[in-house]
Amino acid sequence: MKRFEVTAAALLAGLAGYVLFEANKLRIGNFRVPQTGFFPRVLGLLLVLLTVVELVRALRQTATTRGPGKIDGEGWFRIGATLAIMLGFALVLEWLGFLLATFALMVLLLRAIEAPRWPKVLVVALVTSVLSYGLFAWLLGVPLPAGILGI
Amino acid sequence: MELLHNFALGLSVALTPMNLLFCFIGALVGTLVGVLPGLGPVGAVAFLLSITFKMEPASAIIMLAGIYYGAMYGGSTTSILVNIPGETASVVTCLDGYKMARQGRAGAALGISAFGSFIAGTVGVIGLMFLAPLLGRAALSFGPAEYFALTLTGLTLVAYLSQGSMIKALIMAVLGLLAGTVGMDPISGEERFTYGTLTLRDGFGLVPVAMGLFGIAEVLENLIVLGTQSVYETKIQGLLPNRQDWRDSAAPIARGSVLGFFLGILPGPGPVIASFVSYAMEKRLSRYPEKFGTGVIEGVAGPEAANNAATAGSFIPLLSLGIPTSAIMALFMGALMIHGIQPGPLFIAKYPELFWGFIASMYVGNAMLLVLNLPLIGIWVKLLKTPYAILFPLILLFCLIGVYSLNANVAEIVIMLAFGVIGFGLRRVGFEGAPFILAMVLGPIMETSLRQSLLISRGSFMIFLNRPICAVLIGLTVLFLLWPMVRRRKPQVT
Repeated sequence: MKRFEVTAAALLAGLAGYVLFEANKLRIGNFRVPQTGFFPRVLGLLLVLLTVVELVRALRQTATTRGPGKIDGEGWFRIGATLAIMLGFALVLEWLGFLLATFALMVLLLRAIEAPRWPKVLVVALVTSVLSYGLFAWLLGVPLPAGILGI
Repeated sequence: MELLHNFALGLSVALTPMNLLFCFIGALVGTLVGVLPGLGPVGAVAFLLSITFKMEPASAIIMLAGIYYGAMYGGSTTSILVNIPGETASVVTCLDGYKMARQGRAGAALGISAFGSFIAGTVGVIGLMFLAPLLGRAALSFGPAEYFALTLTGLTLVAYLSQGSMIKALIMAVLGLLAGTVGMDPISGEERFTYGTLTLRDGFGLVPVAMGLFGIAEVLENLIVLGTQSVYETKIQGLLPNRQDWRDSAAPIARGSVLGFFLGILPGPGPVIASFVSYAMEKRLSRYPEKFGTGVIEGVAGPEAANNAATAGSFIPLLSLGIPTSAIMALFMGALMIHGIQPGPLFIAKYPELFWGFIASMYVGNAMLLVLNLPLIGIWVKLLKTPYAILFPLILLFCLIGVYSLNANVAEIVIMLAFGVIGFGLRRVGFEGAPFILAMVLGPIMETSLRQSLLISRGSFMIFLNRPICAVLIGLTVLFLLWPMVRRRKPQVT
C-alpha cells in the first residue's frame, strides 16, 4: 500500500505544481480586485500544501498496511480491453453509425469480459443494439449518427 | 391553511398522467439501480440527466428524485438476500437483514424494510414541506460572504465525514474546485485551462465526469474479479411483518425517521451516515445489544427508515439555499439548471408548482415503491441472477450513449473514459469521488462569492468574520479541520 500511496501523492504533488505554473499565466489581480487567475492560484497553493502533507504521511506509514487487492493478468486484460473497446466505439461511432457501432461494441465487450458462446453473443448484441436504437432514437428523440448504413 | 393549498397545487401537478408515469419510471429505475450492482444512484441520475433535456422541468425532477429514493428501497433487497448492498446506504442492513434471511425470516426483513422506508420517506417529505420554505425565507438575507462561508463549510464537512482519510478527501475537493475553474471565468468571461479546445469552453460537463467517476470506475473495479452472484435460495414468504415484529420495529422506525431527516440536511453522504448512526443508536438503546448482528429486526428497521428519511432531508439545502450537499444533489442542481432554473432562496416563490409538485410526487413515489417492492420481490431476485458478463456491457453501453446524447460530441465520451480511469486509479488508493464532484459544482458559486465578497470589502477578509452567520460557519469550518488533529493527540495527553 505504501508504494501505491507514495506514488499517488507524488503524482498529485506534480499536478499541483503544474496547476500553479498554469495559473501564473493568468491575470491574478489583488485582494481588492481579484482577477481570473486568483482562485486557481489559491487552489494550486492549497493543493501543493495538501499533497505535501499526504506525501509525508504516506512516507511515514508502516509498510505493513494492507493495500488494494492485487489485479491478476486476467483482470488487467478485462480492464484494458474494455477501455480500448469503448475508446474505439467513440472513434468509429460517427463513421459507422449508431446501429453498427453498438453491435460491434456489444460483441467485443461480451467476448472480452467473459466470452460466452458466439450464438449468445450475437443474439444479445443484436437485441441490445436494436432495442437501444428504438429507445433513444424513436422514444426519446435523441439524434443518433446514421453512418454508412444511412439510418 | 396555506400549506394545504400549496399541497393541493402540488398534487394537481404530480397526479397528471405524464408526471405519474415519470414518477413510476424513476421509482422503477431507482429500485433496479439499488438491486443491481455496478451502477449506483449517482451514475444512474447522471445517465438519465441527459434524457431530461426535452422533458418538462417538473417531470424531469420528479423522475430523477424517484431514482434516488427508489435506490434506497432497492438497495436493501440485495443486502438482505445476498449480503451484498446494492448501494452504500444499505451496507448496515446486511448485518441483521442477511442473518434474518438465513434464519428463514427474509420475508419479515424485506417487509419491515419496505414499510419502514415508506413511513420514514413520508415523515421526511413532511419535514421537507415545512422546513424548506422557512430556510428559503431566512436565506433571502444571505450575501456573497454567507454563500462563500456556506460552500466552504459544506465542503469541509463532506471531507470530515468521508469514509477514508480527511486529507485525501480535501485533496479531492480541491481537485474538484480546480476542475470547476476550467472554461470561462464566471465574472470576466476569460477562458481558463481550455487549451483552445471548444469542448472545454463551457468547462467539464457534469454528466461525463460523474459517469466516469461513478459509472465507469465502478464497472472497472468490478471487472477485476468477475464472479457470479450467489443468491441465497430461500422461500420468501410472509412479507407482512407479524405483530411482534411491528412492536419491536415501531420505535426504531420513528427514531430512524427523525434522525435520518436531520442528518440528511447536513453536507455529506446523508443516507449512509444516517443508517450507520441509527444502527449504533438502536444497539445502544436495546435491552439486548449483544444480539445485534445475529438477525434482530430493529437492526433492519432503524437504518432502513433513517436512510430513506435522509433522502428527503438532503433536498432542503439545495432547494432553499441553492447549495448541493452531496454528489447526487449536485446532479439535481445540474438538472434544474439545464432548464434555466436556479435553485435557491427564491426557488419556492418563483416556481411554486415545481416545488410543491415535486413534494407531492414524493408522497406518490413512496406509495408506488411500497407496491413495487413487496409484490415484485421475486422479480428483483431473478434480476439479481443476471450474469455480470451481460450486465456490465449493458451498463457501459448506456453510459456511452447517455454521454453522447448530451451534445452529440464524441470528445465528451473521451472525457468520461478519462475520468473513469482516473476515478478507478484514485479509488484503489483510497480517494473518493464524491468530494470531487460536489466541489466541481460548488466551485463556480464559491469563486464568484469569494471574489464578490473581496470586491465589496475592498480586499478585507474581515468580511467573513464581521457577519454573524459567516463567523459561525467559518468557526465550524476551522473546528472540522482541527478536530481530527485534536482527536489524534488526545490519547497522548491522557
